[in-house]
Amino acid sequence: MAHKKNRNVAIIGVGQTKHSSHREDVNQPELIHEAVSAALKDANISIKDVDCIVHGNMELFEMIHQPDLWHVLGTGAYGKDSIRITTGGTVGTTLACASDNLVASGMYDIVMAIGFQKLQEGHTTGGITNMADPLWFRNLQTGALTGSTAYDVIQEFGEERAKRAAMMYRIIMDKHACLNPNAHRAFGLDFDQVETLMNTSPKLVGELRLIHMCSQSDGACAVIFASEKKAKELSKKPVWIRDHITIHREETFNIFGYHKNYPVLKTHKFAAEQLFKRNDITNPLEYFDVFEMYDPAAWWGLDWLRDFFFLKGDEHLRLVENKEIMIDGSMPINPSGGVIATNPIGATALLRVAEAALQVRGDAGAHQIPKEVKHALASGFGGTMWTVLMMLEKELNW
Amino acid sequence: MEYWGVKVSDIFDTMNDRFRPEGAKGVTAKFGYDITGEGKWKIIVSEGLLEVIKTDDISDCVAVMVCDGETFVGINIGKVDAANAFTSGKVKIEGDFGQFGKTAKMFKKYVPKKAAMSTRDYILDMFGTLVSRFQPQNAPQEAVIVYDIGGADGGVWTAYIKDGKCELKEERAEKFTVKLEVQDAKDWVDVMLGKVDAFSLLSAGKAAIVGETQLALKLGEIFKKYQDPMASGTPEQELIVLKKIISVDQKFSTGPVMGKFLNALKEKKILGNKCPKCGRIQLPAREVCAVCRVRVDEWVEVGPKGQVRYMEYVYYASPDPLTGETRETPYGMANILLDGCQGNDTFAHLIRRDQIDRIKGGKDDVSGTRVRPVWNEHRTGSIFDIKYFEIDE
Repeated sequence: MAHKKNRNVAIIGVGQTKHSSHREDVNQPELIHEAVSAALKDANISIKDVDCIVHGNMELFEMIHQPDLWHVLGTGAYGKDSIRITTGGTVGTTLACASDNLVASGMYDIVMAIGFQKLQEGHTTGGITNMADPLWFRNLQTGALTGSTAYDVIQEFGEERAKRAAMMYRIIMDKHACLNPNAHRAFGLDFDQVETLMNTSPKLVGELRLIHMCSQSDGACAVIFASEKKAKELSKKPVWIRDHITIHREETFNIFGYHKNYPVLKTHKFAAEQLFKRNDITNPLEYFDVFEMYDPAAWWGLDWLRDFFFLKGDEHLRLVENKEIMIDGSMPINPSGGVIATNPIGATALLRVAEAALQVRGDAGAHQIPKEVKHALASGFGGTMWTVLMMLEKELNW
Repeated sequence: MEYWGVKVSDIFDTMNDRFRPEGAKGVTAKFGYDITGEGKWKIIVSEGLLEVIKTDDISDCVAVMVCDGETFVGINIGKVDAANAFTSGKVKIEGDFGQFGKTAKMFKKYVPKKAAMSTRDYILDMFGTLVSRFQPQNAPQEAVIVYDIGGADGGVWTAYIKDGKCELKEERAEKFTVKLEVQDAKDWVDVMLGKVDAFSLLSAGKAAIVGETQLALKLGEIFKKYQDPMASGTPEQELIVLKKIISVDQKFSTGPVMGKFLNALKEKKILGNKCPKCGRIQLPAREVCAVCRVRVDEWVEVGPKGQVRYMEYVYYASPDPLTGETRETPYGMANILLDGCQGNDTFAHLIRRDQIDRIKGGKDDVSGTRVRPVWNEHRTGSIFDIKYFEIDE
């Protein structure tokens, strides 16, 4: 059984900005307004129809206290109920979960979630480091950068194969980004560059190289959620929210023992197990048609496939090596180009939900996957060790 | 005469193209222009239509603008402030001043035609201006910088910096401090013009830095920003970006549990607290075991020696959030299993910088490199009462 819901909820509108590192042409409310206008237009409603605004970003990055108040001119929250959410990298998916809950509860008929970040206006690595325990770990941490996953994959599968697979993943994401006009970074990489890039791209931490890591973007995303009744009245192609789950673990770094007798329970795997079990999904790889994954770096994207889809041995490597995760493959991952291409952090995880919804509708344009999308999955990830998963459906039939 | 490359007649000749009927709504009038030494023009506005005539007969105009050619062109291309020119008497309006004001909304801005510069032109101009853009106060005492710009439009240049002077030669120095290799000259032009950021090129493998990366990252300070000679036409509006630096004093209470742990460091002791249920040892100590959700009261002394289970080998020069200083790289941040601990009860700290290449992580029952803490002489109850861990040999 999916978790108990008072009433069904659907996504009826999606909007986003062009994401870029050069948005000096607009201030924060103006940037947000671009996404809000696009979402309202997409849903064919006006701001008057929206009952509640759920606003999200990471305040520590721009260092603006109560940004939702400054942003009112762009969000349209004037005179409406409004909530601000800040949960790190997961902000965007938490916005979607909260909006779903607010509509399902019966409190509001139409809720707009807005995720936003203007990373050029602050210092991201400084901001992330300042989120760590000030008494101890803040002194040691390097933002969100870690080479540990690269180390793990290399330990398990050997240096050559691991580095190759990670770079394949990276290039596939770039190929997808090249199809998405809103993506921040689309380099035009090709598979014949695997060898060169895996050895020459500047190193950040261990085998985590510059090319593997996500961008720092300016951008905003808005998604409109409606009750079943409203959705059926207003939308020709509502996208139904089936279920979602949020899992955390203790905020410390006691996961580096590397001893087989002391396995580390990863939040992605745990979240996927719980969510799929209660929805009677035994083979997620078969069930889902597309997955918009929060993949902050190529090594993580590669490694996490195994956690989310319960894969064994080197199955996740083979999915990448055989290009099955490409837009026309058996399990397309991030046809939008994902987080490595585009990362306005407060909007990033909401973009996963928005892009998954566009895929279900068949409205993703040049990066629409070529087969029908009935079941889509979106994930969020944040510091430290947070997972959010959301399931979207074309038909209201589960 | 040309002013900023623009003739007075250019402004009048383009008026029909720049005319905005919506800005001329309700205006039916003739306006005159008497440009000293250049001639006289008359424009006739009627029902959203415009006619421009070069004529000496402007006596029937409702208002006439009188000024010199430089001021007229300057105002039209944004080089001269119109209000200031009027206030200072450089521009006079004879006749109906209020009516003349309506001409301000009638025309789109004049944009000077650009003569195109090729990639090769840009490359030559960039290196031609390099020495004049040198800022000795930001430069190192001595450095040799090689620019290896590929493609048909590229070339090889070497900048020799010594004692506050910079010399550029079109040659390839064999010994250099840092070398920039860019595959395609066009990409380098885009970087210099601010259209593409250098990291994108590096990421995409279209450029590489050989030698001292830190110096390459400072090139933007050593040389003033390159100004695009083609960018003389003023943009629609200058985009202003305000810069701010926040500096905040902070203090954090440790509480009794973390306080006990930190106090012990003063005595060169590392104390963990042990969960009564699962038996794990928490480092640093915490009041409650988050796995078992029980209070953790038992204290045990561990280490101080131990073995490295995993080390982050950090190349990226991350700023120290406490001081704002950029850390020296590479450095090693390790998860150390102190003697007396097990499983994932690791302790995070730094490794002596000159030893990081010799550190090996442990796996299962195989031990990683054995290490010991190096204590600070003046200990205050902080993480840096331990300077770092070094190899125990």
